[in-house]
Amino acid sequence: MTAATNSPAGPIVRVSGLIKRFGSFSAVDDVSFALEPDRIYGLLGRNGAGKTTLMQLLTAQQFATAGSIEVFGESPVENPGVLRRVCFVKESQKYPEDWRVKHVFASAPWFFDNWDADLAERLIADFRLPLNRAIKKVSRGQLSAIGVVVGLASRAPLTFFDEPYLGLDAVARQIFYDRLLEDFAKHPRTVVLSTHLIDEVSALLEHVLVIDDGRILIDQDAEEVRSSAVTVVGGRAAVDAFVAGREVLHRDGLGGLASVTVAALGDADRRDALDAGLELAPVSLQQLIVRRTNTTEKEFEQTS
Amino acid sequence: MTAIAPSSALGTPRSAQTNRIWNVVRLHFTNTWVIIQTPAIILALIFAVNYAIWSVLDVSISMEPGEAVDGTQWSGAASFVFVYMSVVAAQAITVTFPFALGYSVTRREYYLGTSLLFVLVSAGYAVVMTILAAIEEATNGWGRGGHMFTAVYFGEEGGLARLFVFFAMFLFFFFSGAAISTIYMRWRMYGMIAFWTVLGIALIGLVALVTYTRSWPVVGEWFATNGASGVAAWLLVPTVVSAVTGYLVLRRATPKN
Repeated sequence: MTAATNSPAGPIVRVSGLIKRFGSFSAVDDVSFALEPDRIYGLLGRNGAGKTTLMQLLTAQQFATAGSIEVFGESPVENPGVLRRVCFVKESQKYPEDWRVKHVFASAPWFFDNWDADLAERLIADFRLPLNRAIKKVSRGQLSAIGVVVGLASRAPLTFFDEPYLGLDAVARQIFYDRLLEDFAKHPRTVVLSTHLIDEVSALLEHVLVIDDGRILIDQDAEEVRSSAVTVVGGRAAVDAFVAGREVLHRDGLGGLASVTVAALGDADRRDALDAGLELAPVSLQQLIVRRTNTTEKEFEQTS
Repeated sequence: MTAIAPSSALGTPRSAQTNRIWNVVRLHFTNTWVIIQTPAIILALIFAVNYAIWSVLDVSISMEPGEAVDGTQWSGAASFVFVYMSVVAAQAITVTFPFALGYSVTRREYYLGTSLLFVLVSAGYAVVMTILAAIEEATNGWGRGGHMFTAVYFGEEGGLARLFVFFAMFLFFFFSGAAISTIYMRWRMYGMIAFWTVLGIALIGLVALVTYTRSWPVVGEWFATNGASGVAAWLLVPTVVSAVTGYLVLRRATPKN
């Protein structure tokens, strides 16, 4: 056993040099990061980027090809002491064929020490889950809601939500958002929200991990990411003059108007922009990540 | 593989661990239909059909009362339950294993809990079938001279021996079904193809060996001397092999996405 230094201040998850290959395909490719206790993380990336595989590795559902994983200071593999403090309801979670919705909520409390039955009951009512319906007949949104209820009510010190918004309507999304923050304030824990619908969750996130093609692209404070770029809007000529020589992340235009996203501006630059009659708009997390994961190189070519 | 053995510094008290194993048993029992109601209903239906056939035979064939039905001691009607349990075991692994992992259960806890379930259900069904066999005997084949639970394969050595035969047979079908299913969980389709190919070749080889060495009489004699309970005792060998194999295979199995 490695020295299980699990000081309250230290990270609760440490991953280094993690690799997971399926045949010749690397789903997770040399990934290293750490998760601090009592924060809300976003694990963001496109479909097939490696999000689910990464979470399955952290919860010992998959075995790593190489590298090390420590959760609460120990390897999670076949480790009941670690796993009982972890909750991970997969987006593609298969439930027993013959089950009804109520069976999920009857059995979940046996496996999660901190299960809060009152909270579960309230959430079931909020999401209007049909307890007596056969699980194979519920809609995609209701399936997501079941996962959300288990994830929240389990109050596991490390909780993963895998695509919690998939199929949820606007009201249900708001309920998830409110209940998560409310319960998080009372019972702080480490939450990892994995999703490709970045704008939906961005307001919840304190820290962002962006994974693309099995590699970590961004591992940064959410606020830092948001303030790392700004969009300059105004007359084409004025904008072009202003952004000349700057790192351009994205460019849009309509008629005589241009909208260009550039790396963060200093105070002096911001004043210059305003003096030039330009508008400065914040960039959404989603836009930023889309640009950083996909189109950066192309945009560079366009500007040169 | 032994390096996996957890000696956790996070400390899971032994009682908590047994608790989690027991919770896996409860997980299988969350919906009891698959294990209890469905097979009971099918068994009742098969019994009803058999009863009707016995009645027809008795009336339509002019022999001593009950004599025509005597052939039913070779009945395979009750064998459905065993095959059904094999399928239940296989499904338990393919469905509840990925689900239990979602509940943060370790593979070890899952396998031990599931094995405990198999033993409990085997014992329960063995008792029920033994009681039905006793009734069948006491009522002279439900008043029709029929055999369903007293078929010759289950032995003619009385209640306790029959209980043991039923128990051993249930255990065999549960653990072999589960073991085959773990091979699927671990290696998917390739595992299945390899397993059934090897099993097929092995069986054909065995038959060929016995045939060419003209040993069929010896085989027959072996069954005759061992009797139903002796054969059932030997059945525990492949059962234990299946149970251990299932465990070792599942230790490294992963759920599908």
